Amino acid sequence: MKMLSLAATLAVLATPLAAADATLDLVAPIAEYKLYVSENTEALVTDTQAFVAAVKAGEIDKAKALFAPTRLSYEKIEPVAELFADLDAPIDARADDYEKAEADPAFTGFHRLEYALWVEGKTDHVTAVADKLEADVTELAKRIDGLTFPPAVVVGGASVLMDEVAATKISGEEDRYSRTDLWDFQGNFDGAKKIVDLFGPMVEDRDFVASVEGNFAKVYETLDKYREGEGFVSYEKLTDEDRKRLSALVNTLAEDLSTLRARLGLS
Amino acid sequence: MSPSPSRRAVLGGLGLGLAACPFSLGLARAETAPQAPALTAAPQAGASSASDRIAPQGRFQAGIVTPRPAWGLVAAFDVIVDTPADLERLFRRLTDRIAFLTSGGTVPELDPALPPADSGILGPELRPDALTVTLALGASLFDAHPWLGPLRPAQLTRMTGFPNDALNPDLCHGDLAIQICANTQETIIHALRDLIKNLPDQLVLRWKQEGNVPVIAPQAPGVVESARNFLGFRDGSANPDSADAALMERVLWVHDAAEPAWAKDGSYMAVRLIRNFVERWDRTPLAEQERIFGRTRITGAPLDKRDGTEADVPDYAADPEGAATPLDSHIRLANPRDAGERHLMLRRPFNYSNGVTKSGQLDQGLLFIAWQASLTDGFLAAQTRLNGEPLEEYIKPVGGGYFFALPGFGPGPDDYLGRQLIDAIGHAPQKT
Repeated sequence: MKMLSLAATLAVLATPLAAADATLDLVAPIAEYKLYVSENTEALVTDTQAFVAAVKAGEIDKAKALFAPTRLSYEKIEPVAELFADLDAPIDARADDYEKAEADPAFTGFHRLEYALWVEGKTDHVTAVADKLEADVTELAKRIDGLTFPPAVVVGGASVLMDEVAATKISGEEDRYSRTDLWDFQGNFDGAKKIVDLFGPMVEDRDFVASVEGNFAKVYETLDKYREGEGFVSYEKLTDEDRKRLSALVNTLAEDLSTLRARLGLS
Repeated sequence: MSPSPSRRAVLGGLGLGLAACPFSLGLARAETAPQAPALTAAPQAGASSASDRIAPQGRFQAGIVTPRPAWGLVAAFDVIVDTPADLERLFRRLTDRIAFLTSGGTVPELDPALPPADSGILGPELRPDALTVTLALGASLFDAHPWLGPLRPAQLTRMTGFPNDALNPDLCHGDLAIQICANTQETIIHALRDLIKNLPDQLVLRWKQEGNVPVIAPQAPGVVESARNFLGFRDGSANPDSADAALMERVLWVHDAAEPAWAKDGSYMAVRLIRNFVERWDRTPLAEQERIFGRTRITGAPLDKRDGTEADVPDYAADPEGAATPLDSHIRLANPRDAGERHLMLRRPFNYSNGVTKSGQLDQGLLFIAWQASLTDGFLAAQTRLNGEPLEEYIKPVGGGYFFALPGFGPGPDDYLGRQLIDAIGHAPQKT
């Protein structure tokens, strides 16, 4: 396995990586990234409408089938979730975020519906939660156009998301009722890689970019082993060996991408 | 990876190593009675300093016969390696970090737009603080690779449960165990975080346990007391004398013909996370506690020499019925003193205190670490004799594993921990 540890290499660098008055033109990639978020948000709204309709109609199987694909576009834009933190919580929070866990009335969003579908096996008691989810993603889509995308937040979002995968996703705790975690992984890696694709060309150290791209390629290689139909098999099928490898790759990406802002002259 | 300035500084400063170490074995010996155990003596207040330096280089790894400082941890990792070159790279990178961390120096200053190179918890100047970092390999590493399997140390196995164990799989085994010891907690945590930050692509943390031993008030010259465990008893009284190099050759260091040649000067490491039911223990009459251990609680003297000291050797031949020292007491089962040196091992444990169980009891216990040339004759034999001991009512092993400590490495710029194994892979017939 050939992965350069850029974090280690960096430890010996004491000189600034980019000029303070970055002449790098970040306008174009930021605009393109915003378009990416906007497209995914639109897809999220459309998909959520269908998902919510199935939930409210009590069509359990259909709703279960739509759950993971609907989330995919949300997971792709998660690098910039801090720009809409007030919506991120009601849309995507987990039971552990609440003192009374699943029983907590403040627990809403995708994972509350996931719990209803997979554990409770009924949805008539969560129609209000479904309506709120649809309203929240619609509000999110409305906001995107008017939202400012600070370059530091966008570029920093890639490593923040890898951190989050390393800290609370690789354990399989995100989609604990449905075991659809690998779909979320796909969305998160796509979303982080989009940022690298857009901003990577402006990074001077080509070895760094090549190594990051190599690690993304290895991640996809591992995920590919678990594809099934349009998506993925249950997270429980992930072998210990592959979980370890993903964990090492995600942590390496998190370390390396934590330098991306500085490499682009952003602080 | 190019050598960093700090690495060069380390290599330049190697000569200082042992001479500068106030823990040097000779010194500790000179101050103690001939039979007194030095290694597990309780650290004395004011005797240690942040400038204590223990050179990592030598025929054996540091951190095994090194007198135990106040803090220690064991972290077990899964390692990501596919080829011998990957393993060599892991060993070389670990050696680089160990050389840097154990000698101290200035943390590199980076562009403030970057994450800092170091956690910062020790400030901008790292001091060695008696830090040792000891590497030991688990059986799973050898089993995972056809090119490594034939080189597995003969007695290295995956730990299996004893009758009183309740092993938690999340706290067991690992491809690589790293023992980190130092005078202070912040130094061992700093070292652990440094390794995790610098080798994320090859090290995946499985479990970690840290612990400490109580630092006692300065003692009169010649007085050495073993540190107490969380059951209130002295632990380590009967340890073999780690300053006796000839004894250590026999008890500790591997040189058996049955072992692969690369393993010479390595040692077997048994790690056990042993929970103590302290609430129950504290409700047990003192006389019963003492019978369970076979020693007095205050001084650690054996029960047949109650007015003596912990250094006194119990005379079991004179007590065949166990009237003074019960036959099933801990010390009598663990070390019946009837087999010469054959079953000796060197214990170097730390006490841990973790939090609260679901039942509202304290999660405290012993991070048991024992070193030996033969796992079979050492830990396995002792634990097998201890099966069913009365102490079991108060303790519950929940984790750990068996590992093999690599031999030491030399001061040459191209030597590194694990080189003997990597060289042996090169010479082994390759299976394709």
